[in-house]
Amino acid sequence: MRLYAYCLCEDEPAALEAVAGLNGAKPRTIYSGGIAAVVSDYEDESAPLTRDNVFAHERVVGHVLAHTTPLPFRFGTLTSEAQLDDYIGEQRESLTAMFVRVRGCVEMSVKIIWDVDSIKSEIADSIGETPASLKASSDAEGRGTSFLTMKRREILGGEALESRAGEVAAWIRDSLGDTVEQDAVRLQPGERLFFAAAHLVKRARLDGYRERLARARVQREGLHFLTSGPWPPYSFTHLRA
Amino acid sequence: MNDLDLQRLEESDLSLLETLDHVLNRGLVIAGEVTISVANVDLLFVGLNVLLGSVETMRENLGKRNRLEESGEAGTPRTSAARSLEREGT
Repeated sequence: MRLYAYCLCEDEPAALEAVAGLNGAKPRTIYSGGIAAVVSDYEDESAPLTRDNVFAHERVVGHVLAHTTPLPFRFGTLTSEAQLDDYIGEQRESLTAMFVRVRGCVEMSVKIIWDVDSIKSEIADSIGETPASLKASSDAEGRGTSFLTMKRREILGGEALESRAGEVAAWIRDSLGDTVEQDAVRLQPGERLFFAAAHLVKRARLDGYRERLARARVQREGLHFLTSGPWPPYSFTHLRA
Repeated sequence: MNDLDLQRLEESDLSLLETLDHVLNRGLVIAGEVTISVANVDLLFVGLNVLLGSVETMRENLGKRNRLEESGEAGTPRTSAARSLEREGT
């Protein structure tokens, strides 16, 4: 029998019968070495990436999250009882460490968009890279020198962009302070969505986290925030068998 | 994507994108058993790097695995996700 796997838990998930999984199947729990795996029967060979399926996956994991913090499987994880048993047996140590890491916590997400073109222009101005100055330097310098000057300015511009993104990341970290247990930050300074952070937050400190974030975001008018959560700790439970 | 584009997105779309960003990119993986199919997918959110990033990550992972399989370094059969991605050309 093929199984669709949603998550692993330390405790018995409550009232699983109240939620529908993929294809409307009822999730159930199977145990391996004291760890509970939430699964549902699944007959197809793959899990199509559809709105209904994605939300069904998250609905089940979210239901579990309401009662305890699970280790969520990635969408599309198909397995069998024997494979799951092997997996848990082989990864017991890592899984136990992850349960300890995320116990009592949820994941919160912060993404930030900035006007990267305006920022690049500002940076270009600050290092003297206006169109007029570029033309003047190009006219005055030889071809090789002009190329090297351009490269140097590109590097300076890139470094300045990275520095600004890093400054935002440090500001967010400072603003949230000790309400965040751990974070996973991805910076892409050259992109509009340049900042994506996952924050591991104790459930008991969620209100404080939200208050600090709300206070911080009004300080930077030029940044557009996308915040969401609580999520199962997807960003803090990577594991490959 | 600018702020206007964001405002045009329904809340449910953003919710879906955030969900995709989490459930596709991360989480526990039993190697060889993540079998997402993108054939007949009803999601079209090109232009939003949240989803594109996720698909790229999936392709990279599948590509690495397929290269290992072709070189005989892994015994895992090619997943249906890999076949679907190749067929769709995404």
